[in-house]
Amino acid sequence: MTNGLVLAILGAALAALLAGIGSAKGVGLVGEAAAGVVSVDPSKFSKVLILQLLPGTQGLYGLLAAILMLSRIGVIGGSPAELTAAQGMMFLIAALPIAVVGLISAVFQGRTAAAGVGITAKKPEHNGKGIIMAAMVETYAILALLISILLIYNIKI
Amino acid sequence: MMSTTRYADAVAAVRAMENFLLRRSDLEQLINTESESERSNIIASRRGTGAEELSLESVWELIRGYAPDCDELRILLYRNDFHNLKAALKSMIAGREPHGCYVRPTGLDLDTLCPVLAAKEYEKLPQYIRSTAEETYELLTRTLDGQLADSLADTACMRAMQRDADRYGSSFMKRFAQLTTVCADIKTAYRCSIMKKPLSFIETAVCGSSELDRDQLVRASLGGTAVLLGFLESAGYGQAAGLLAESPAKFEKWCDDAIMELACTARMQPFGAEPLAAYYIAAETELKNLRIISVCKEAGIDRDTITERMRTLYV
Repeated sequence: MTNGLVLAILGAALAALLAGIGSAKGVGLVGEAAAGVVSVDPSKFSKVLILQLLPGTQGLYGLLAAILMLSRIGVIGGSPAELTAAQGMMFLIAALPIAVVGLISAVFQGRTAAAGVGITAKKPEHNGKGIIMAAMVETYAILALLISILLIYNIKI
Repeated sequence: MMSTTRYADAVAAVRAMENFLLRRSDLEQLINTESESERSNIIASRRGTGAEELSLESVWELIRGYAPDCDELRILLYRNDFHNLKAALKSMIAGREPHGCYVRPTGLDLDTLCPVLAAKEYEKLPQYIRSTAEETYELLTRTLDGQLADSLADTACMRAMQRDADRYGSSFMKRFAQLTTVCADIKTAYRCSIMKKPLSFIETAVCGSSELDRDQLVRASLGGTAVLLGFLESAGYGQAAGLLAESPAKFEKWCDDAIMELACTARMQPFGAEPLAAYYIAAETELKNLRIISVCKEAGIDRDTITERMRTLYV
C-alpha cells in the first residue's frame, strides 16, 4: 500500500466522519426540540419529524463522497490503485469540501430546524416556512458535495 | 455550541404550551360573562379537554422537569421564598399554623422551614436566604415590629435577586431583578412618604438598583410625595409617577406590564432559559388576570374598569 493510497483513504474517511458527526449533532438537536413539542402535543409528530430529517442529509452526502472516492481508487473493487503521494493528497483535498462544509452546515441546519420546531409548535399551519428556512442551509452542503465529486472524478490516476 | 442551544426541548415544549394560554379575545369574553360557570367553560375550551387546570406550581414543575439544571430560573421564586420566610417567622412568634400563609411554588422546603428556624439551623436553608432568616428572626424577636421585619426581608429579597442574576450572568434575569426592584422601591418610597415614615425605616425598606439610586430615593421619599414624584419624573419614571399619583391599581398594572414587556423579548428566542422564564411570567400574569376578573365580577365592578385593569398578555 502506497502513501498516496493511505492519504486517499484518509480523505474518504474524513468525508464520511465529519459530515456524519455534523448530521448526528444537527439531528440530535432537532430531535430534542421535537421531543419537547411531542411531549405536549403528540399530533405534531409527523410535522416535526420532517424538520428532524433535514440535517441528516449531510451525513449521506459524506457517505456518497466517500463511496465514490473508494470506488475511484479501486478499494471497493478489490484492486487498489498505486497512487503517488501527490495523487493521494489530491484525493484528500477533494474530500475536504463535503467533510468541512458538511460538518458545519449540518450543525447550523440543526439549529435552524430546531427553531423551526418552535414555529410548528405555535403555528402548525406555517410549518412549511420552517422547513424552507432550514432547507436554505442545505444549499451549501450540496455545493460542497458537487465540488467534491468534480474533484474526485477529475484527478488523473 | 451547547451553551447557545440550551434547553431546545424545553423551549419547544413551552412554545406548544403557549397555545393553551388565554388571548385578548378570551379575556374579553370572560369579562362579558355573568357567572363563574360561564367563565370556567371559556377557560376549559381554551385549554382543551383533559387539560389540567393552570397553576403556577404545575407550570414550575413542568419547566423544572425539562430544565432541572437551570438554576437561574430559581430567581423567579425568590419573592415567594422570602414571603414564606416572613410567614414562617411571624407564625412561629404568634404560635399559629403557617401553612395557610405560604405561597407556592417555592424553592424552600415548607415542611421543615419552621423547625429549621426554631432550631436556628440556618445552614440548612438555601444560601441566598440564610443570613436574612437569621437577621429577620433576631429583629422580630427583639422588636416584635412586623413591618420592619417585612421591610428587611423584602429588601434582602431584591438584593438576592440582583446578586444572583449578576452571578448567573443572565441579562434577562438581571433586567427582571432590576425591574422588580424598581417597582418595589417606588411603591415602598411612596407609601413611606404618605405615612411619613422616619429615615431609619425608609433606609431599611428601600433597596436601590442601578436604575434608581437608593440614597436619592430615600431623600425624595422623606421630602414628601410631591418631591418623590418629581424625583421619579427626573429619573425617567414620569409615567409610573403619574400613575402612582392617580391610582395604586394603575401603578400595579404598569409594573406588571413592564415585566411582561421584558418577557415578550424572549418570544423570538429559540433556545436558552429566557423563554422558560417568560412562560412562567406569562402564566403568572394569566392567573392574575383571571383573579382580577373573578374578584371584580363578584364586587360588581363595571366592564370598562375590569378591561382597564387587565395586564398585557404574552400571546
